[in-house]
Amino acid sequence: MDRRDFLKTTSVTVTALSLSKFVEVGCERPPEAPTGPAPTGTWLDRQRAKWTWDKTYFVTHPQDCYPGNCSWVGYVKNGVFWREEQTGRYPVVDPSTPDWNPRGCQKGCMYSRVTYGKERIKYPMRRVGPRGSGKWQKISWDEALSEVADAIIDATEEQGPESVIVDEQPGQGGAFPHGVYPPLRFVALLGGTMLDANGIINDYNIGQYMTFGKFHGVSSQDDWFKAELTLIWLMNPVYTRIPAYHFVAESRYNGGEVWTIAPDFSPSAGHADRYVPLKIGSDAAFALGVAHVLIEEKLYNADFVREQTDLPLLVREDNKRYLRESDLKKGGNEEQLYVWDEKGKKLAQAPRTKLALGKVVPALEGSYRVKLADGTEVVVRPVFDILRARLEAEYGLDKVHAITGIHPDVVRNLAQKMAAKRTNILVGWCPPKIYHGDLMERAMCLCLGLTGNWGRRGTGVRGWTVLADMSIYTMPTRSGGSNDFADTVTELGRLVTALEKKHPGITEEDAHIELENIFCKLIGQVPPVFFWYHHAGYREVWNRKEWGDTAMKRTFDEYLQEAVDKGWWDNYVRPAPQIEPRVYILCGSNVLRRTRGAPKRLLEHLWPKLKKVVVVDVRMSTSALYADVVLPAAFFYEKAQLHSITSPHLRYWAFADKAIEPVHESKNEWDIFALLAKKVAERAQERGKKEYRLRQVVDINKIIDAFIPPGILGKIGDKLVRGKALKELQGFYGPTRTWENLHKRFTANGHYNAGDGEKLFDDALVILRKGGTVGSDTTLEKLRKTGFVKYTGLGRTPHGLNVATDVKPNETVNPFSWHTQKKIPYPTYARRAQFYIDHPWFIEGGEELPVFKEVPKAGGQHPFIMTSGHLRWSIHSSNVANEFALGLHRGEPFMFVNALDAKEKGIGDGGYVRVFNDVDEFTVQAKVSALPRRGQVIIYHAWDPYQFKGWRSYDTAIPGMVKWLHLAGGYGQFRFWVWNWQPCQSDRHIFVDLEPVRVA
Amino acid sequence: MTEPSRQLGMVIDLNKCIGCQTCTIACKQLWTNEEGMEYMWWNIVTTVPGKGTPRGWEQMGGGFDEKGQARTGHLPTVEEFGPAWNFNYDEVFFEGKGPTAQLKPSPEPTWGPNWEEDQGAGEYPNSYYFYLPRLCNHCTRPACLEACPRQAIFKKEENGSVILNEDKCNGYRFCMEACPYKRIYFNPKRFIGQKCILCFPRVDKGVAPGCVRMCPGRARHFGYLDDEGGQVHKLVNVWKVAVPLHPEYGTGPNIYYVPPVLPAALDAEGRPRTDVPRVPKEYLRSLFGPAVDEALKVLNAEWDRTRRGERSELMDLLISRKWHDMLRPFDHNPAQIAT
Repeated sequence: MDRRDFLKTTSVTVTALSLSKFVEVGCERPPEAPTGPAPTGTWLDRQRAKWTWDKTYFVTHPQDCYPGNCSWVGYVKNGVFWREEQTGRYPVVDPSTPDWNPRGCQKGCMYSRVTYGKERIKYPMRRVGPRGSGKWQKISWDEALSEVADAIIDATEEQGPESVIVDEQPGQGGAFPHGVYPPLRFVALLGGTMLDANGIINDYNIGQYMTFGKFHGVSSQDDWFKAELTLIWLMNPVYTRIPAYHFVAESRYNGGEVWTIAPDFSPSAGHADRYVPLKIGSDAAFALGVAHVLIEEKLYNADFVREQTDLPLLVREDNKRYLRESDLKKGGNEEQLYVWDEKGKKLAQAPRTKLALGKVVPALEGSYRVKLADGTEVVVRPVFDILRARLEAEYGLDKVHAITGIHPDVVRNLAQKMAAKRTNILVGWCPPKIYHGDLMERAMCLCLGLTGNWGRRGTGVRGWTVLADMSIYTMPTRSGGSNDFADTVTELGRLVTALEKKHPGITEEDAHIELENIFCKLIGQVPPVFFWYHHAGYREVWNRKEWGDTAMKRTFDEYLQEAVDKGWWDNYVRPAPQIEPRVYILCGSNVLRRTRGAPKRLLEHLWPKLKKVVVVDVRMSTSALYADVVLPAAFFYEKAQLHSITSPHLRYWAFADKAIEPVHESKNEWDIFALLAKKVAERAQERGKKEYRLRQVVDINKIIDAFIPPGILGKIGDKLVRGKALKELQGFYGPTRTWENLHKRFTANGHYNAGDGEKLFDDALVILRKGGTVGSDTTLEKLRKTGFVKYTGLGRTPHGLNVATDVKPNETVNPFSWHTQKKIPYPTYARRAQFYIDHPWFIEGGEELPVFKEVPKAGGQHPFIMTSGHLRWSIHSSNVANEFALGLHRGEPFMFVNALDAKEKGIGDGGYVRVFNDVDEFTVQAKVSALPRRGQVIIYHAWDPYQFKGWRSYDTAIPGMVKWLHLAGGYGQFRFWVWNWQPCQSDRHIFVDLEPVRVA
Repeated sequence: MTEPSRQLGMVIDLNKCIGCQTCTIACKQLWTNEEGMEYMWWNIVTTVPGKGTPRGWEQMGGGFDEKGQARTGHLPTVEEFGPAWNFNYDEVFFEGKGPTAQLKPSPEPTWGPNWEEDQGAGEYPNSYYFYLPRLCNHCTRPACLEACPRQAIFKKEENGSVILNEDKCNGYRFCMEACPYKRIYFNPKRFIGQKCILCFPRVDKGVAPGCVRMCPGRARHFGYLDDEGGQVHKLVNVWKVAVPLHPEYGTGPNIYYVPPVLPAALDAEGRPRTDVPRVPKEYLRSLFGPAVDEALKVLNAEWDRTRRGERSELMDLLISRKWHDMLRPFDHNPAQIAT
C-alpha cells in the first residue's frame, strides 16, 4: 500500500472527523500565519545549526549530591551556556568491571536551565517590608556589604563575635575556593560560631560510627559490581545514585543477587531479585533475626569475629561493664580490656595497638570467674556469649516474625546467603534520620561482622567521606603561595608525629581525629544541637518524652545538663546560653527548608533574636525570602574549582571550569567574602573600632599542652613545631583580635584578594599533590585540559585515613583493609569493631548491644506513618523549583498514598490532603500509588516550603527530635570532631493523619 | 517508498532503565527548546502500567491492522500530551505577597508527560511497575509517512531513520493520527508537526543520539541492525532477547526493549512465590507481543548461568563493561566534532 492508499483508507473514513477535530480538541489553528522570525535556511540546515557551538569547557556541579563529581562538557554559544553533555571519556580502571562512563544524571544536564532560571537572584537586595513579605529594594554591592559589615561589628560589640553564626553548608556551590570555604574562613577568623555540616544536614551514619569509630568506610562505586549479594537497605539508589546505579544492575547480570529491604515497594525494589516488605521501623529486629540464625546455625566466621570485633571481650556480669585492668589491679589502665584465652585457660589482655592476637585464642562462649583487685570474685562472659543469649531470648524467629511481618524462612535464607556470599549493604542516609536508626545500623554491621563481610572487595557498608579537603588545611595560611600551603602540610605531619610519640600505640588515624577535635575548638566549629536547644526553641520539643525514647529514665534536660557538666562538650556550647545570636549568614544554605520543624521553631524562636539574616545564594530559597539582605552568588559554570566532594566513591574527580561570566550581578563566594572582610575592616576604622575580644575564650595553651606536652619533641623540635604552631594559632585564634587582621588574614596578607580565586586554587593544589591524592603534575592548567583527575591515594587527611585502605591504580577500592589485613586497630574505645558499648548511659538505656526499639510516636497518636527519602528530581532544594524539573512530575509537591487507604479516606489521585498531627499541619497533593504499604505515606524531600500553601511544608509537622544517647561523651569515639559524634535531628517515621480537602 | 539500504536500531534494557529521564532532558536541551515546542518531549519515560503520554495513547488507534490496512487514529491534543506549565516565580519572590503566594503551575495541571511517575499497579506488596522510555520507533513501515499527503516524511536512505521535513509540512497532522505510538507533536507557533530526528546531525558525524549517549544507566545500545559485530544486532537478531513495543501495530518498529525481570511475588509473610510472576504475563504480552515469552526464557536461562558462576555471552553483552561498545560505530566524541 502506498501513501495514496493510506489516504484513501484513513482520509476517506476519518479525515472529515479529523479536520473538525483539529478545532474541537485544542490544537486550534491560529487565525493567521504564526508570528515571530521565520526560520531561515532549509530545515536540514536549521537542525544542523542547532547542534553547533563556539567553545567547550569541562564542567561539573560542585554541590552535595554525594559523590556527584560527574565530568561534563559545557557547550557555549554566543556567550550563553547552551547545554551540557557527559564527557564520557573515563579510561577503564579494572577491565573485569564496567567502566565509569558516561556518568551524570538528569539534574546534571538541567543546570544550564537553572543558570538562566527565573528563580535566580539577580542583584543584591534589601528587605523593605516585614520579614517574609517579599518586598525588596535593589541595592548596590557596596551598600549591601556595608550593611552586613555594620551588623557584624554591632553584634560583636554587643554580644561578642560568637553571636555571628554561619552554617557549614554541604558544599552547595563548591568547597574550595568557592561555595562553603569562604564563609567558613571568614567566620573562623572572626571568632564566630560555625555550625557543623553533618549536624545541620544529618547524613551522619551514627550507627556505623558507634561500631567503627567512623562512618567513612566508602568503597569506589565500581566495587559494588563485585558484590555477590547486594542488600539495598534504607536506601533508594534508583533515585539517589543515578550515575552509579548501573554497577548494581550490572552486578545483577553478573550473577550477583540484589535484595531490597524496605517498607514500601520502592523504585529500587522493582529492580531487585528479592523484595523484603518489612514493617516500618522494624529493620533492627530483622537484622537481629539474621544475626540469630548466623549464630544458631554456626554460620559465623569465628576467626574474623575474634580478631576484628569486640565480641570476644569479657564483660562483668555484675555491672555489665567490660572487665578492665583497673578492676584487676590498683592503678591499672582503665582502657585495657580482656579476653579469655581458650588455649591457656586464663585471662589475656586484648591487644590495643594491633588487632592480631598472636597465640591467644579468645573464647567466644562460656562464663568465667575472675578475682578483682579488691578481692571479690565476679563472673565474666565474652560479649559474643551475652549476644547469643540475648538473641535466643528476644530475637527468636517467631518474635522477629511478629515484629517485622517477615516469615522465618526469609530471615534464615538471608542469613545463609550472607554467610556464603560477598555481601555489600547499600545503606543511605536514611538511618540517621530515624530516631532509632543507630540501632538499625549497628544491627546491620553486626551481620556483616559475624560473616566477615568488610575489608574485602565487594563487601561492606556505605557511608561518606571527603578526601581532598583543602579547606581545613588552608585555614591558617599566612603569606599565601604554594610553599605556604606545602608548609602547612609538613607542619601537620609533624603534629601527628608528635601525637604518635605522646601516645604510644596511637594510629595515624587516631592522631588526625584528635587534631580535628582540637581544630574544631579553635575555629569555632560546633555541633548545632546546643544552639538549637538554647536559642531556637527546641528545648521544649526535645523534652516531649512521648515523642522520643520511652527508655529515658530522666528528662532530656537532665541528660543534657549532665553531659555539659561532665565536660563532654567543652567549647562546643556555642553561642553560650547567655549570648544572643545576632547575625546569621547563610551561604548556599536553606535552613528554613532543611531544619526539621524549622517553620515553627526557627521562625518563631530564633528569627526574632536575629538582627541581620544574610543569604548568599544562587536562587531564591525560602530562607532567602525570610532574609534581610540577599546577595547573588555565581553558579556552577561561573567559577573554576574541583568538585566539592572528592570521594573514594568515584574514581575520577571532575574539574569545574569557568565557562561563562557570572550571570546578572552575581559574584563568586571567594570574592564576596574577601570584599566583606575588606568592608568590615573599613567600616570598623570609620567607626573607630580596632580590637575586640571573644566572650568564650578557648585556652590554646591548655589545648596545645594537652596535645603535645612541652619537651616531648626535644628542645629543637619544640622550638620548631610547638613554638611556631602555638604562636601561629594564638595569632589566628587568640582571645583578642583586630578588625584589620580579619581582612589581612582572610586574604593571606593581601595575597588572595577578590578576583584571586583561581590563583588560590592553583596554589592550594599542592596539598593534594603532597598528600599523594593526585599525581605530581596536577595543576589548574592541566585540569583545564583533562577535565578530570584520577585519584592515586586517599591522602593524609582524617577522612582519607578513615577509609583505611591502599589504592591501586587498576583495581576497585574497598575500605578497611588496613584493619583486616594490616591488623591496625579501629578508632573505637575497644579498638575493634564495637558492638558492645558499656558507657553508663547505654547500659541505662538498654542499648549496650544493638536491640530493636519501637518507633517513637513522634507527632502523637495518629494512624499513618510519614516516611521520606530523597526526591528523584532535586539535589537538596537546589533545583527543586526549576520549571524544567517541575514540568516532569506534578508541578508541585506530592505525597504518595496507598491506593486502599486513599479509597477508604475518599482521597482521589491529584486531590489535596490535609496532613496533621500534634505538631502542625500542611496541605499537599496526593499521589495514589502501589508503592506504599497500608498506613504509610511517603513524601520525598526537599521541596522548598514556598511550594506549599502558606509556605507550610511537611517540615512543619516534624518535631525534629534528637536522641538523648547521642549526647554521651567521655568514652572513646564519643567525642565531637568535624562531621562526627553529635546528636542530629530525626525526621522519618512521623505519625500523622490525613483527610481530603478542597483547595480553592 | 524505496527501501533504505540499512536500518538503525536501538535496544533499551528495561532492567537497567531507572526512569531518571536524563534521556528526556538530553533530548529537550538538544532539540525542543524553542517557542511552540515547550510541551514536546520527543523522548519520554513513563511508569507502566499507566496511560502514558498522550494519555491513553494505546487506545488511540493508528498503524495497521493484521491485514496491513490502515487503522483509524485519534489526533492527540495538547491536553492529552500534557501542556507546559508556567510558574509564578515573580509573584512568590518579589511582589510583596508573602506566604499567601505559593509557587504553582498554571494552567491547573490535569496531565503531564510523566504524570504517573511511580504509581504502578497491583496490590502491595505485590505491586509492580517499571519504566518505559518511548520515542519515535523509526519504523520499517512508518504509518506517519504513508499518511502524509505532502510527502514531508521520509525514511533516510542510508540508515532508515524517519525524518519529517519541516519545510514541506503543512500542519495537516494526519501523521499524528496515523502514528500508533503518538510520538509526533504539533507546533502551534509554526503550524507544523515535529518529531524525533534520531539526532541526525550527530549520527551523521558518528555520534550516538543524545538519549543514547547520555543515558547514565547504560540502558541503551545503538547501531545498525545488520551489523553482525554490533550489540544491537546480537541482542535483536541473534539472542532475540530484545522485542519491539506493540508489534501488532504493524509498523515494524526499530526500537527494541529487553523485558524487565522484577523480584518474585510474595505471599502474605514475605516469602517468594513461584506460582505467579510479579508482573502478569498477559501485561507483558500486551506490550511486547507473544515474542516476549521466548525473550524472557532466553534471558532467564542465560542469567541462571551467571548465577551459577558461569560465563554468559549474553550477560556480558547486557553488562557491556566498556561503555563505548554500546555505541559503536557511533562512539565519536561529540566535544571533538568541529562545528
